[in-house]
Amino acid sequence: MLEQLLIFTRGGLILWTCKELGNALKGSPIDTLIRSCLLEERSGAASYNYDAPGASYTLKWTFHNELGLVFVAVYQRILHLLYVDDLLALVRREFSEIYDPKRTVYNDFDETFRQLRMEAEARAEELKKSKQMVKPVNNSKKQGQAQKAGFDKGNKKREGSSAGGGGDENDEGKGRKLENGHSNGNIFEIDEPRMTAAVNGKENTSSNFSAFDVSKLQKRTKGGKKTDTVVNKGSKVDPKKKVTKKNRVWDDAPPETKLDFTDPVDGNGNENIEVVPASQGESMMDVEEIISSDSEGEEDDNVQKDSKPEATKKGWFSSMFQSIAGKANLEKGDLEPALKALKDRLMTKNVAEEIAEKLCESVAASLEGKKLASFTRVSSTVQAAMEEALVRILTPRRSIDILRDVHAAKEQRKPYVVVFVGVNGVGKSTNLAKVAYWLLQHNVSVMMAACDTFRSGAVEQLRTHARRLQIPIFEKGYEKDPAIVAKEAIQEATRNGSDVVLVDTAGRMQDNEPLMRALSKLIYLNNPDLVLFVGEALVGNDAVDQLSKFNQKLADLSTSSTPRLIDGILLTKFDTIDDKVGAALSMVYISGAPVMFVGCGQSYTDLKKLNVKSIVKTLLK
Amino acid sequence: MEGMEQWKDQLEQLKIQLEPWKIQLEQWLHQAIEYLDQIPPIQLYAAIAVLFISTLLLFSIRLFKRTKSNTIVLTGLSGSGKTVLFYVLRDGSSHQGTVTSMEPNEGTFVLNSESNKKGKIKSVHLVDVPGHSRLRPKLDEFLPQAAGIVFVVDAVEFLPSCPSVSEYLYDILTKASVVKKKIPVLICCNKSDKVTAHTKEFIRKQIEKEIEKLRASRSAISAADISNDFTLGVSGEVFSFTQCRNAVTVADASGLKGEVAQVEQFIREHVKP
Repeated sequence: MLEQLLIFTRGGLILWTCKELGNALKGSPIDTLIRSCLLEERSGAASYNYDAPGASYTLKWTFHNELGLVFVAVYQRILHLLYVDDLLALVRREFSEIYDPKRTVYNDFDETFRQLRMEAEARAEELKKSKQMVKPVNNSKKQGQAQKAGFDKGNKKREGSSAGGGGDENDEGKGRKLENGHSNGNIFEIDEPRMTAAVNGKENTSSNFSAFDVSKLQKRTKGGKKTDTVVNKGSKVDPKKKVTKKNRVWDDAPPETKLDFTDPVDGNGNENIEVVPASQGESMMDVEEIISSDSEGEEDDNVQKDSKPEATKKGWFSSMFQSIAGKANLEKGDLEPALKALKDRLMTKNVAEEIAEKLCESVAASLEGKKLASFTRVSSTVQAAMEEALVRILTPRRSIDILRDVHAAKEQRKPYVVVFVGVNGVGKSTNLAKVAYWLLQHNVSVMMAACDTFRSGAVEQLRTHARRLQIPIFEKGYEKDPAIVAKEAIQEATRNGSDVVLVDTAGRMQDNEPLMRALSKLIYLNNPDLVLFVGEALVGNDAVDQLSKFNQKLADLSTSSTPRLIDGILLTKFDTIDDKVGAALSMVYISGAPVMFVGCGQSYTDLKKLNVKSIVKTLLK
Repeated sequence: MEGMEQWKDQLEQLKIQLEPWKIQLEQWLHQAIEYLDQIPPIQLYAAIAVLFISTLLLFSIRLFKRTKSNTIVLTGLSGSGKTVLFYVLRDGSSHQGTVTSMEPNEGTFVLNSESNKKGKIKSVHLVDVPGHSRLRPKLDEFLPQAAGIVFVVDAVEFLPSCPSVSEYLYDILTKASVVKKKIPVLICCNKSDKVTAHTKEFIRKQIEKEIEKLRASRSAISAADISNDFTLGVSGEVFSFTQCRNAVTVADASGLKGEVAQVEQFIREHVKP
């Protein structure tokens, strides 16, 4: 059941909500969606899952970029609603027609929405039924009802009466609506579409029956591997299939002919490949896939047909005219070349591929349907949008003012504990010493804790740094549990009044389970104020893997319910990479944690703060 | 030397070629002067005067516009109620509620409460800048033209958010564009209709305390990298808003209940009707 559907502006004003759905949402899924998904340049994703105490929702959204509108649908995660994408597209189309920036109340949209919803539900129902056409037509109606009953949990009675028939339904529906409030309002609506769906189903059977029937037979003999492509194919494929079907039935499926059947299907190209994996899954998923691929396919075809001849026929004059007048609306096809070039450029700057891809998707989602301003090219528009997105990502979400936090901890008479984690050889100890030096300069008393009890020479290395900086070091030699060493170090710091404890840990690969478990224990036991991930700027695609696995392991292996994750990033070896600054972007995007320090040299003074503007400039250069 | 002479020859030739043009030009000049003589001198002076006055007028309009900005910027942390306040000031109601803003809301309008008044009222250009920390750079676009800043604080959830509120306010108060132009700031304690809301005096004191701490840590950090353009307050004294070069005042408001009189008063003080 759809929980809520909202239409709001990018400025944040809710224009329309579905009042008959008026269920109070638990928590604030919409705000969370905006904050942690749409504003984090993840709007290219298909859906977002929201968990709150007592509720788990799935949210789907779509944009109307030209008008600056956002459409969000919320539904319970356990229900796989098939029609949500469809419904959102319909609502977007209808609403954009009546939208007026000066208007803020759209009560008359209620009626339109009710119709749209019926339409979408009916279509979903129809598709579901078409799956079951193999069985006698009489059964299909009952089946549809049975499935409906699954949807409207606990309302079976209502279903029964609706099967009874015509006039009474409506009255009863209204009565129930009054009695039970929101939930029945929905059922009342559903009655009609189901009826129409049933009728449609009957009508369709005459034309579709043979095709579906055959596909089902195929399914039976093949064991359900290649099905339903029929639904997706046009008339061109059908005849072929019919032939193959006949053969099958009559031949009793010998293995050689089976190969024959698969060949033509494979010959049809990509579309098959798309559909086949979907059809192996649950049937509902199957239907959804077909709807979306169908409609999108058509749209895409149209776009290509429209745009290609235009480009070739009209030539430079039209393109110049377009650039002066401003192009009507940006389509996906227009954006693609520019986005691809941008993605390649990001990747040459050492941004992980996965992240470049996601960013481009998000930028595309934010530009699609927008008007191109006069005297601009698509590429420059895309670049401007990307720049904005990059600035947004790299701007820290939390305060990176460590000194203030140190002072706050000092007031509470507690040492401020920083744990340095990371893979081997990225420079944890070296940069720990740099941070210590920086803190010392600001009159903060620092203590080091040598919790790398694993690699030989680690304690000695740290001791050398401590001696040069003339700060105390807490060490217990090797072969000790690092978690215990850290705990004792913090106790020691409390005793001698140190403000900051810098905890050095052993480097570990993100896949090394025992070591990750030890790290998780160390963090859980000591509850540090800051978990600093040390990563080298040289890293490329592996940055994503390192950070996401570190975070994942810290979350999984933690025994507490609210696990500590990585709070900040220290980027090392920044002086060695010239303009390949992509690792900074990859790391920040994947973890959401800000880059707190940048290590850029060999001496103690070579510690900087990240300059967001220059990074963005370098990335897009 | 030969090259030099060649060059001279070319120059001579060019001069000869240009000769007819020269004569033509002189003729035209004579014609123009004759034409001018025919025109009565008063008309001539009038034309010059009109030209002069119109350019002067254009310049003065630009200058006037620049000095008398009517932009008021609404800012504050995410979830403090800026967008609600924006729509209450514009339309008198928050409509069906709001969600987190992704883009600034802008509008030039006559305040809703004054829309019934007769006579000419100068409209206000109100900008509601999103509070989400990722969108903070947007604020810099609007600050240079601001006539006043309304810093919205959530009075109910104040204590947990106090450090971040103070930090954001500190950043705004130390921006060069704010300090140099002495843009007045109103700290608007929103949601004051709730029972658990803190009083504006309490909030002011807490923020002052927090900024005092920030002063210590920020002055230390500025040497490293974060560059706040100015430091706040007088060194050696406990910080209070009276030490700021720009006026900082505190007010109560309730966006949802429509009690925004103090904010309107602030706006009218700085955007004269």
